[in-house]
Amino acid sequence: MNFDTSLWLVFILIGLATTLPRASFIVLGNRVTLPGVVQRALRYAPAAALAAIVVPDLLVVGNELQVFNPKLAAGCAAVTASVLWRNPWLPFIAGMTVLLGLRFGLGL
Amino acid sequence: MTSSFRTGAREGFAAFLPLSVGLVPWALVMGMAMISTGFSPLQAMGMNVIVFAGTAQLGTLPLIAAEAPIWLIIMTALALNLRFVIFSAAIAPGFRGTRLAERWLAGHLLTDGVFAVCLDKMLHNDDPRWRLGYFLAPAAWSWLLWQVFALIGILAAAYIPRQWSLEFMANIALIVLLVPMARVRPMLIAAIIGGTSATLLRNLPLRLGVIVGICAGIAAGFAAENIEHRNKQP
Repeated sequence: MNFDTSLWLVFILIGLATTLPRASFIVLGNRVTLPGVVQRALRYAPAAALAAIVVPDLLVVGNELQVFNPKLAAGCAAVTASVLWRNPWLPFIAGMTVLLGLRFGLGL
Repeated sequence: MTSSFRTGAREGFAAFLPLSVGLVPWALVMGMAMISTGFSPLQAMGMNVIVFAGTAQLGTLPLIAAEAPIWLIIMTALALNLRFVIFSAAIAPGFRGTRLAERWLAGHLLTDGVFAVCLDKMLHNDDPRWRLGYFLAPAAWSWLLWQVFALIGILAAAYIPRQWSLEFMANIALIVLLVPMARVRPMLIAAIIGGTSATLLRNLPLRLGVIVGICAGIAAGFAAENIEHRNKQP
């Protein structure tokens, strides 16, 4: 894939989109407060966004919904590992083992 | 640098050091995922330095790879980092009496881990210099670890064959972030609705399905919270 100079523009814009929320109240000080309703709604943004990014990638193969596919199996392995153990490496090891095992071992 | 800044820095660093090990696999995965997306090592390090926000970096990689429109990439990064508006509001009193430039720096360096470690003591100490040291030392240490291990990941990824699908590690990383959130029921509902609607709406133009999914997920989580709350009342 080819990425040109516009990629750097994208980085800068993503940088702004991530720094402005973090800096917002620290820079503004206590002059402004956030309504409780907004605070409560904002808490759901990351979970919704993470799922909106990951789930389609696990369920869709070549634009078709496919429940039995190596990526979904690997995702389930990663979920199981992170539910059961605190070790930060295990989900990666479990997920990649299942993905590569199914791809190379079973040729899926 | 005043001596109370140094004392604060030492104490903050000591409090954060054991936790900071957890950053290592993330940074390695981040480095490898950026290379798997197709970035050059310079581009990957550029993103890592400019953005310095793991979730938003990992979350926008698939969109960048799919050549999604810029505004969608920005909106997604924003959605992934909106929780920091709340963190920022909570920790803001800890920065009273510090200069504007220091506040911007502190804002850029704010991460989940540093927030969790620093919040309490920053709100209960009267010395602004001590507080700034207590925040900046762990924050700068996180930054350094993040950059160093991302670079190691970047260099290692260049020697790993593409068939190994290392880019999938970005998905695993996002799953690992999602799992502890989804232990709370409304949060789980937000994730299920967000994921399902983004999947069903994947053919919308401009990959709008992601944004619609995020909005639907937020609405569903919020509604579930309100229903739960109402049921608890006598």
